Amino acid sequence: MNDLHKTPLYDAHVALGGKMVPFAGSSMPVQYPAGVLAEYQAVRESGAGIFDICHMGQVRVSGEQALDLLQYLTSNDVAALADGQVQYSALLNDAGAFIDDITTYRISADAFYLCINAANRQKDVAHLLALSAEFNVDVVDESDDTALLAIQGQTAQSILQALVDIDLESIAYYRFACCRIGGYDAIISRTGYTGEDGFEIYLANGAAGGLWQSMQQAGATPCGLAVRDMLRTEMGYALYGHEISADVTPVEARLMWITKLDKGEFLGRAAVAQRRQAGPEKVLIGLKLAGRGVPREGYAVLAGSSKIGVVTSGAHSPLAGAGVALAYVSPECADRNDLAVEIRGKPIAAKRMKLPFIRSNVRR
Amino acid sequence: MSIPAELKYTREHEWLRCDGDTVVMGLSDHAQDALGDIVFVELPDVGRQVQVAEPCAVVESVKAVSDVYVPVAGEIVEVNTALETAPELVNSDPYGEGWLARISLADASQLNDLMDAEAYAGFISES
Repeated sequence: MNDLHKTPLYDAHVALGGKMVPFAGSSMPVQYPAGVLAEYQAVRESGAGIFDICHMGQVRVSGEQALDLLQYLTSNDVAALADGQVQYSALLNDAGAFIDDITTYRISADAFYLCINAANRQKDVAHLLALSAEFNVDVVDESDDTALLAIQGQTAQSILQALVDIDLESIAYYRFACCRIGGYDAIISRTGYTGEDGFEIYLANGAAGGLWQSMQQAGATPCGLAVRDMLRTEMGYALYGHEISADVTPVEARLMWITKLDKGEFLGRAAVAQRRQAGPEKVLIGLKLAGRGVPREGYAVLAGSSKIGVVTSGAHSPLAGAGVALAYVSPECADRNDLAVEIRGKPIAAKRMKLPFIRSNVRR
Repeated sequence: MSIPAELKYTREHEWLRCDGDTVVMGLSDHAQDALGDIVFVELPDVGRQVQVAEPCAVVESVKAVSDVYVPVAGEIVEVNTALETAPELVNSDPYGEGWLARISLADASQLNDLMDAEAYAGFISES
């Protein structure tokens, strides 16, 4: 564990009894002593969970051609953003496949902020820097100096409101505001990875510990990586390395809604258009098990007795009362009524479901 | 970590309590803690004859699936059906309400192959 990066909250996690594991180069808590289901209940029922996501990356893109660069390098329509607005997006390569999924924040016409996956940080930054050479723009990796926390659940806003000096009620879904926390600049967005109402808070490393402790003292429940994965799987949210990777385009991953082919030229556009035209060879679907068992990554998806796909993410969903899975399957088989997930050698019947598996509580 | 003195233990983290000519078995506190929140328990059929070290049950938690092995040969005479609707009992009360199965012993001498509480405590501190 000596080479692992420690987030500003490392000591806090250890003091709470968090089980620390290596994750994308950082030592992160997978769960705390009360257990994953207790953390789940805090987020999904009437409380709030707090998440240390400091391992993620942040890149500031600014200058006269910041918008032009991002319009070229990202899949979504950056020109549609207003000041203070965020969008879910992707970096695609010229084969139309995923380099990463990201969120793009527009601060002003010449100032943008990207949130990127920890596991892809070096790759993404290198990609941005390489392509920015031809544009009048500054690309700065601010990850090392930026902490990121999330608070998600019914009481998220009331807990956070007592700790910040801006009116959170005025921040709409996928909007953000700038403020000061602990004497440092911060950004608060009404975004998250759980399907509950809540916020993501970008702040200086030095202010993170204080905010974490305050939120916890106000009743928010520390949540680890295990519950984070359960929550996003229930919502059908993609995770890089599972549903999205350099092996799939937005067509297979059903992310055409963040891929605006009509916005003008962008890296990967032609390949995505071609793939859409030709039809994908596999398609991402949601499956809910009819029998007992927890579907897990790598398990085969069967139609009758033939293997027609594979699970990319799976979880036990307490609210759905069953195992749920995201899986890539051959398109012709996606709507058959004899689907099953093979669990330890036995086929467990599964039904295709629309996503999300449970009700979303994000604020519209 | 709780390790009741009157029980016997296996290297696979099962416990046994002698109760006349039957034994009751379950998962140790160490095992339930390592597994995390348990969501499904698959128990053996009553009446099944089992051999030592045979997998007889499956415990599935949020993060992993684990086989449970037979500590002593015999016949399954009772299983804890409460676990079908309340699998979390294995976490909350591993030595009491979270028991898994009752076995009628074929060979009582097999009990001597098991660890006592002190030996088990040493075993888990080494692993």
